[in-house]
Amino acid sequence: MSEDRETRLLMISPGSELTPDQLARMVHSMSPSVTVKETCYGCLVEGPREVVREARDRIREMYPNEVFSKVRAYPAGDPRRCRAQHGTRPGFAQLESEWEFLSKVQHGLECVERGEGPVQMEKEEKLPVDRFKKICEANR
Amino acid sequence: MKVFIDPPNSLVLFDLVERFGHEPLSSMAAIQERIDKLEIDMPPMNVTIDDVIKGLKYAGIEVPSGVRGRLALWGPLIDEAEAAIIMDDAPFAFGCVGCERTQSMVKYLLKRRGIPVLHVEYPDTDDEAKNFVIQAKEFLEGLK
Repeated sequence: MSEDRETRLLMISPGSELTPDQLARMVHSMSPSVTVKETCYGCLVEGPREVVREARDRIREMYPNEVFSKVRAYPAGDPRRCRAQHGTRPGFAQLESEWEFLSKVQHGLECVERGEGPVQMEKEEKLPVDRFKKICEANR
Repeated sequence: MKVFIDPPNSLVLFDLVERFGHEPLSSMAAIQERIDKLEIDMPPMNVTIDDVIKGLKYAGIEVPSGVRGRLALWGPLIDEAEAAIIMDDAPFAFGCVGCERTQSMVKYLLKRRGIPVLHVEYPDTDDEAKNFVIQAKEFLEGLK
């Protein structure tokens, strides 16, 4: 990976009361050397790697289980990906899918923080052949 | 430690691996390497003939080009990985945004490497998500 530039995507869990506008303003106030782009799911932060990681750590301290992040390969506003310039956005379907799942992960992280143990799940067993045969023959 | 995540562009897995103190190996890093190169050989994505040849190391010539293309990106990451987390049956890893054949090849390559691998089910409920986070935390903390 390139050593100088890092673009990071910050996504707010649907279970949070934080808004993308608040998040973007907060990141902007942390460091003047990063570029912040507000998006519908959170924001994009771009700048020198060290500074971006520092901002991520500070956001994680403030909202440990509500804001999730990953790096983004393309720079913010890149014409190959930016919708404003009619770029394709093939990863958006996945982001949307993961966004729906974030509130569950948030719940899981909160349970781990409280020191809760795993839940015993009932394993679905296969239908025995005898029972399946009875079901098939029930209305004969 | 370097932890390979599958699906390699998953936000949740990337975040969890970083959160618990490891370096995630994701497809974003591999793509950024190509994008940040000053010489653009093959615009717009800068995928060159060398990548196609690299893919041949991980999948045979008879394998569809899409699978080989994906493995040209992910194969070197698998070689570099010291551990891996695989999310089985993630809905976004299937269909037009994913590739089931590549998933199978990735699982095979990881198994052949013999590194510690955690298989987790895609959680549908809060309880499953809780178990998923606990499993990931225990696995990642155990790697230290």
